[in-house]
Amino acid sequence: MVSRHTEKKAPLAWYIAFAASLSGALLLLALLAYVVWNGIGVWGNNQPVGWGWPIVNFVFWVGIGHAGTLISAILFLFRQHWRTAINRAAEAMTLFAVVCALIWPTFHVGRVWVIYWTLPIPNQMEMWPQFKSPLLWDVFAVSSYFIVSLVFWYVGLVPDLATLRDRAENFWRKRILGFFSLGWTGANRHWRNYEKAYLLLAGLATPLVLSVHSVVSFDFAVSVLPGWHTTIFPPYFVAGAIFSGFAMVVTLMVITREVYGLKNVITIDHLEKMNIIILVTGTIVGFAYITEFFMAWYSGVEYEQYAFINRAFGPYAWAYWIMMTCNLITPQLFWSKKLRRSIPVMFVLSIFVNIGMWFERFVITITSLHRDFLPSSWGYFEPTWVDIGTLVGSFGLFFTLFLLFLRFVPMVAMAEVKGIMPQADPHHYDGGDGRAAGNGHAEGDGEPYIRPAKVASLEQPDTDEGEA
Amino acid sequence: MADSVKQNTLLSWLVDPLQSTRETAERAYRFTGDRRSWLVPFLLGAALLVISALGGWQRPDDFFFAYLVGWTFLLTTALGGLLFLIFHHLTRASWSIVVHRINEGLIWAFPLLLLLGVPLLFGMHDLYHWTHADLYDPSSSHYDEILAGKRAYLNIPFWGARLVLYFAAWTIVSYRLYTLSVRQDVDPDPDIPAKLRSTSAWGLPLTGVTLAFASYDILMSTDPHWFSTIFGVYFFSGGILSAVSVIALVALLLQKTGGLLRGVITKEHYQDLGKYMFGFTVFWAYIAFSQYMLYWYGGIPEETVWFQHRLQNGWQWHSAALVLFHFVVPFLVLLPRAPKRTSVVLSVMAVWLIGMHWFDLHWVTIPVLRESGGFHWLDFTCWLGLTGIFAGALMYRLRRHSLIPQNHPYLGESLHFENT
Repeated sequence: MVSRHTEKKAPLAWYIAFAASLSGALLLLALLAYVVWNGIGVWGNNQPVGWGWPIVNFVFWVGIGHAGTLISAILFLFRQHWRTAINRAAEAMTLFAVVCALIWPTFHVGRVWVIYWTLPIPNQMEMWPQFKSPLLWDVFAVSSYFIVSLVFWYVGLVPDLATLRDRAENFWRKRILGFFSLGWTGANRHWRNYEKAYLLLAGLATPLVLSVHSVVSFDFAVSVLPGWHTTIFPPYFVAGAIFSGFAMVVTLMVITREVYGLKNVITIDHLEKMNIIILVTGTIVGFAYITEFFMAWYSGVEYEQYAFINRAFGPYAWAYWIMMTCNLITPQLFWSKKLRRSIPVMFVLSIFVNIGMWFERFVITITSLHRDFLPSSWGYFEPTWVDIGTLVGSFGLFFTLFLLFLRFVPMVAMAEVKGIMPQADPHHYDGGDGRAAGNGHAEGDGEPYIRPAKVASLEQPDTDEGEA
Repeated sequence: MADSVKQNTLLSWLVDPLQSTRETAERAYRFTGDRRSWLVPFLLGAALLVISALGGWQRPDDFFFAYLVGWTFLLTTALGGLLFLIFHHLTRASWSIVVHRINEGLIWAFPLLLLLGVPLLFGMHDLYHWTHADLYDPSSSHYDEILAGKRAYLNIPFWGARLVLYFAAWTIVSYRLYTLSVRQDVDPDPDIPAKLRSTSAWGLPLTGVTLAFASYDILMSTDPHWFSTIFGVYFFSGGILSAVSVIALVALLLQKTGGLLRGVITKEHYQDLGKYMFGFTVFWAYIAFSQYMLYWYGGIPEETVWFQHRLQNGWQWHSAALVLFHFVVPFLVLLPRAPKRTSVVLSVMAVWLIGMHWFDLHWVTIPVLRESGGFHWLDFTCWLGLTGIFAGALMYRLRRHSLIPQNHPYLGESLHFENT
């Protein structure tokens, strides 16, 4: 079922979507060339607001990427089996979102051709980057994040590529897949090493994912600007990243399972669980908003207090209230079981969440910059068509890459889903452990698929398991 | 409440709201120790508190600060346990069922803690600078404009009302989680797991928000000029670390003495508890470092002063010890697989981390009182005295009910749990 979509001809919808995304990606390339040629003055940035949409988009895209690693690494460490159906697509989403994110720090600089100066390379000038700058930490954080995510994703892909290889009928297809599956035979020894490597990568990716967005938050929090200089930023940005990332996964999965007929693999239960995570992280983000507001008042610092009054009632109040509505109120609808299991509701809400999270970054960046300590340097930021075009173009690039992934790579981790099928349980056929027992047949033959739990007090505890 | 589990009388409600249900417990899950198990820690704790009170006669401010640290230590640990239990109910974790009852014993702590907090009311003037009336009098030489601006929040009636509200919220959540689970032992009502989950669902945001504001009221306001938005998370991170360590330690103690729960809580469960201890050690370090680094980097005077006090005049040794012993040592020890599965190492680490949590709170609170570092003997007697009473109450509850939620639907899975 999963392999088939890479083998058969892509549906017409795919070609239409691909054409649309590709034109977006081309728009992005053209505009980036335009920016480099003419200078970054074609963006709407001005003197108080030196960081405009490029940074907003950067943080937005990095945030989107975080859900993928959360699903593949953190949920793996917590032994959440439901992750298997969505992890491949979510990791791919991470990679493409990080690609889209990396565009912005690269191109928002005035002289893109000397960006290699940010790398600590010995050179004839004996000059080194300043290791105290969080922008430099970003370089390390995001590049190592991309590399680790890529390795993690690829390691997960190897057994599945081998499956595709074995199914391939075309000569070249067999050769190419044979090359990328690295001679995987699925031997016991392979699996043992594979699972150890996967666990280690998950263990390494987890602190990485938390630190990456924390480092991104440091870009703001280490400054002395009221509205930026807040200690809650590291965990709050991470929560926001998971929030927006999961919303993006829900948006994409709702469409993908519909178009590719994967409703038996990506079930409504999966979507519901993701919606619960959206609810939890959305509530954390909402609480962080309240904390910031409270602390601004409590601090007794007039600049801090003004920064927040300005957010709520200043010239950008509209952006603030869009953010509050989309992030604080809409996820709360997921308290209702009916709403969080409804496909149309979750689709609309997940898009709202991402609009809200884009505005969160906009509010943090721009409202804090446009009015700060000296009233003589207050300004107003208005985006130009180039700002808008590059943002639209980055979505084009993202969907181009995502559609290519859907076309050529198994979008569900087959080897992992097989591992959690009831039949993979060694006790499956002997009805050993009370819960996961069936009779080896599919649903509907009289035996309950999952037997209701026994009253466990009847069971004697094992005494031979040794004391610790 | 089912007829099968009766309410306790008013006085003992503080310690355990329910009548004993131990007769119904499976033999394997029954506590076999005698009354010494709770009486000894209780009496030791009471004796230490009496000694502390005598010392407090001489040095009231030392006493009240030491008492605050000890009391906050217990409060954060209980709150950490409450959140740990809530997380497991919400995620339907099955591995942890066998340690749930210890955790449930831990969370029924708030009525007793409220009572134990009463002595602090007599020390408000020493503990909280913002209670001084002359700060708010513009004609006084002590007039403080900034504190006057915060008066709407920092004043005794509102502060007291908030604390009562927090304790009410925590008591309600923990009452439901505790009694529903105990009731399940004697009356396997199929709806109970769903009720536990729904309580956890609304209990999580309620506990989270009240915990954060409690951290501002109880600890942050001892230095009322200072503020930090991450402080609630900091308070939580240490508390949950301490709670997981307490759970592991009690489980190990029960097995060591009398062999209770042998073969029920296995190495596999200890490995998971060890992983949580490791994980929250790292989480604590992440939060603590973020708070420090951002204030160090910004260098804004009204914020850095808090760390300045803690990095000079002797307190720098405490700060360094915190980095080394609260993060580096547990990080390195708990990283490999073997120590988490070795009961001796794990019990040492549990005691170690519990002590470090107290040390962390000491480092947060005491610099307000003492300019130069160091300890006073009251710091230890107050802490250990309160902990003794608290531990006595915990053991008392554990004696009265099955040590395992024996009718929990996932118990079978938990008993056969293996790390993969």
